[in-house]
Amino acid sequence: MNENSPVIYAENLVKEFGPVRALDDLNLNIAPGEVHGYLGPNGAGKSTTMRVLLGLLRPDAGRIQLFGRDPWRDAVTLHERLAYVPGDVELWPNLTGGEVIDMFLRLRGSYNKARRDELIERFDLDPRKKTRTYSKGNRQKVALISALAADVDLLLLDEPTAGLDPLMEAVFQEVIHEAKGQGRSVLLSSHILAQVEALSDRISIIRAGHIVESGTLSELRHMTRTTIEVETTHSAESLANLSFVHDFRTESVTSAGDRTVFEVDGDHVQEVMNTLTPLGIRSIVAHPPTLEQLLMRHYGDDLSARGVSNGTTKKVS
Amino acid sequence: MSMKVTEAQHAPSPAAGQATLSGTATLLRFMLRRDRIRTSAWVLGIGLLGFYFANAIQLIAETEDELRAVTAMFADPIGRMMTGPGFGMENPTHEALFSAGYVLYLYILIALFSVFTVIRHTRVEEQTGRAELIRANVVGRHATLTAALILTVVANLVAAVLIYAAGLVGDFPAEGSALVAIGGFAVGLFFAGTAAVTAQLSESSRGASGMAGAVIGLAFLIRMGGDAAEVGGNALSWFSPLAWSQQTAPYVEDRWWPLVLPVAFAAVLVWLGYALSTKRDVGASLLPTRLGRASAKPSLGTPLGLATHTLKGGLRGWGIALLLTGLMFGSFAQTMVDAADDLPAEMAQIMPGENMMLGYLAYMAVFMAVFIGAAGVSGLQQLRGEENRGRAEYAMSAPVGRTAWMGAHLTVLVLGVLLILVLVGLGMGLGAVASLEEDGGQYFSELLLAGIMQAPAVLALIGIVTSLLGWLPKLAGAVGWVFVGFGGVMSTFGQLLELPEAVLNLNIFGHLAEYPVEDIDWTPVGVLIAIGAVGIAIGLVGFNRREVNRV
Repeated sequence: MNENSPVIYAENLVKEFGPVRALDDLNLNIAPGEVHGYLGPNGAGKSTTMRVLLGLLRPDAGRIQLFGRDPWRDAVTLHERLAYVPGDVELWPNLTGGEVIDMFLRLRGSYNKARRDELIERFDLDPRKKTRTYSKGNRQKVALISALAADVDLLLLDEPTAGLDPLMEAVFQEVIHEAKGQGRSVLLSSHILAQVEALSDRISIIRAGHIVESGTLSELRHMTRTTIEVETTHSAESLANLSFVHDFRTESVTSAGDRTVFEVDGDHVQEVMNTLTPLGIRSIVAHPPTLEQLLMRHYGDDLSARGVSNGTTKKVS
Repeated sequence: MSMKVTEAQHAPSPAAGQATLSGTATLLRFMLRRDRIRTSAWVLGIGLLGFYFANAIQLIAETEDELRAVTAMFADPIGRMMTGPGFGMENPTHEALFSAGYVLYLYILIALFSVFTVIRHTRVEEQTGRAELIRANVVGRHATLTAALILTVVANLVAAVLIYAAGLVGDFPAEGSALVAIGGFAVGLFFAGTAAVTAQLSESSRGASGMAGAVIGLAFLIRMGGDAAEVGGNALSWFSPLAWSQQTAPYVEDRWWPLVLPVAFAAVLVWLGYALSTKRDVGASLLPTRLGRASAKPSLGTPLGLATHTLKGGLRGWGIALLLTGLMFGSFAQTMVDAADDLPAEMAQIMPGENMMLGYLAYMAVFMAVFIGAAGVSGLQQLRGEENRGRAEYAMSAPVGRTAWMGAHLTVLVLGVLLILVLVGLGMGLGAVASLEEDGGQYFSELLLAGIMQAPAVLALIGIVTSLLGWLPKLAGAVGWVFVGFGGVMSTFGQLLELPEAVLNLNIFGHLAEYPVEDIDWTPVGVLIAIGAVGIAIGLVGFNRREVNRV
């Protein structure tokens, strides 16, 4: 395997549970040293992907390789090079957090005791408490520390920060940046969009077991709209009829000027700016598309087609 | 953990009473809904056991002579140690034997049920965080504990009515039967109160149940000493909550006043439980939580270390319980020698061989093997639990293969079960040596071997369940328990039921020669070991091929 061959390579992966097609022709490609955000709503197939990657489930069709090997057949060899943080961690109730961390580090082979202690310190974990008394956040810290302290090339993180408070999430982001600096690859699944946005080199969006979008954040932004809030001395009504302007609304009309909000397709921003400039811009705010909007455009269509309210998948930003 | 002392000083004030109990009725309905199967099963089980005891006695000992012979087992100090003060054994009746020999075990079940139920609805709820969800509603501070206590008391009342009915069906006098039943109810009250206190003390449900369980164990040990010392018990017996109800001497003296003790203590304990609960926050405990090790012992970092950690708790529990049972059965040896001459015909049929004592112990070895089989099945079910809870998946995300994971757990389980077999043999041997008046020493090695000789049957059961765990994991536990249950019934009643040979052959535990009364027959030993080994191999192959924790 050469330097640039992918760490994870999945092609037309299919996994069925009875009548449910959990993975439906899934394609995924992750390069060495890449932090890959894996976005999707609950039940989209994120955890199933992780478990196929771990060789715990066997795909029904398609090709999957980790470091050029078959994860089902070569599970043990591959697991020496990766660490996994499950989404909903159940730990052994009468072990302490410290014991669980040590057990995993020893099972994985060599580890750095100083690194372990440093991570325990940074995540502010009391390693002497029995895991049955830990909250979900603390159980997640245990799994994270045992993964991050290990000397591995790939981290598979399944919604790793769902139970962490904002302070700890900041620590998590720092640590992932460090891991990236050390050249590790990370597959980071989440439905918390801001986190993926902050950490990922590339993003894949999965819906109903199929990757619907994949690319860098800026590539994905091309496919969506920028929101512009502008105050102009002259009326901006003339923009309303342009084909690449959407959801145009005038919020207030005063003697000082008009306040207008609209969305513009990503590749027509220049034209809008040309039109706006002669109108006398008093203030302007442009929001880049958030991942909420990205998701809403993909799931919004799908859900409205099924007659489900959009509100169910929308996250408050 | 913050203590609100000021609040505690005027805790159960009458004015606040109304508000602290808000929602009790709703919570009670909710608990009844959640417990509809579990509690019904306990209550019915206790009732049925009462019916069984009351009626089986009359079948085993039909004539007065037979009754005298059976009573001998319960009248001597060792018998009393295990069963109670032994009132009325000098002129035995069926009802007196029922009360002296068996009722204590109904009481222990009632005590366990009361502790489990109270803890499950109080501390378990707090530990899982569900209590917070409940308490965020219009629910008073005392509502959960009150509803849990009402549930336990009502269930115990139903159990008491069933026990009373069992006595009446057995044609026993009404007053004595009422005393037996209300005595059980009083035991339930006492231990519900105990659990109401321990639930406040420990942050973990295991700790709370453990403390209350220790009180039951201590109560049993104290009355062991008191009841063994003299007929009717001595002063020591009056310090045990389990003994108080038996001191009513049902069917013999029929005295009611000893029941004042458990009822009064229960009231004090319940009051204490409420008072303590106001001194702590939701989810907190009065006793500080003990901290564990900050880093693991080196042994934990291997598949075997992990497997040992997972299985040792269960194996240790089974091991201690079965060792004590083995000791107890062994210590009946002298009684069996004494009673050998005039035992009823049915008993003689269950116990083969001319030497009654060895026959009895050979039979007990089979009986114990069924329980050791149960320990094996419950260990295998624990593995299934590890898988269902996602811990197996997490462990195997480290470089631990499916075969290594399963193999390590099976190794620990098989070694543990073999160790229990040895311990049971040792227990029976030591018990017999200690109790026999003449030549006890010569039987020790035979009884030890009798315990160990049951290993092939247990191994075969583990093999069968393991093969299912590999290929049809959903069936494994159920099939295992069916084999255990069938083995238990067949070992106890098989000969009496006169079933066809083919049905008897399905009993895994019925194939080995009943050493030491029969010579060892190596054919079934070989066949059973082969079933075990092949079953384990098939199971490992299956586990290696199938997906882990497939939803």
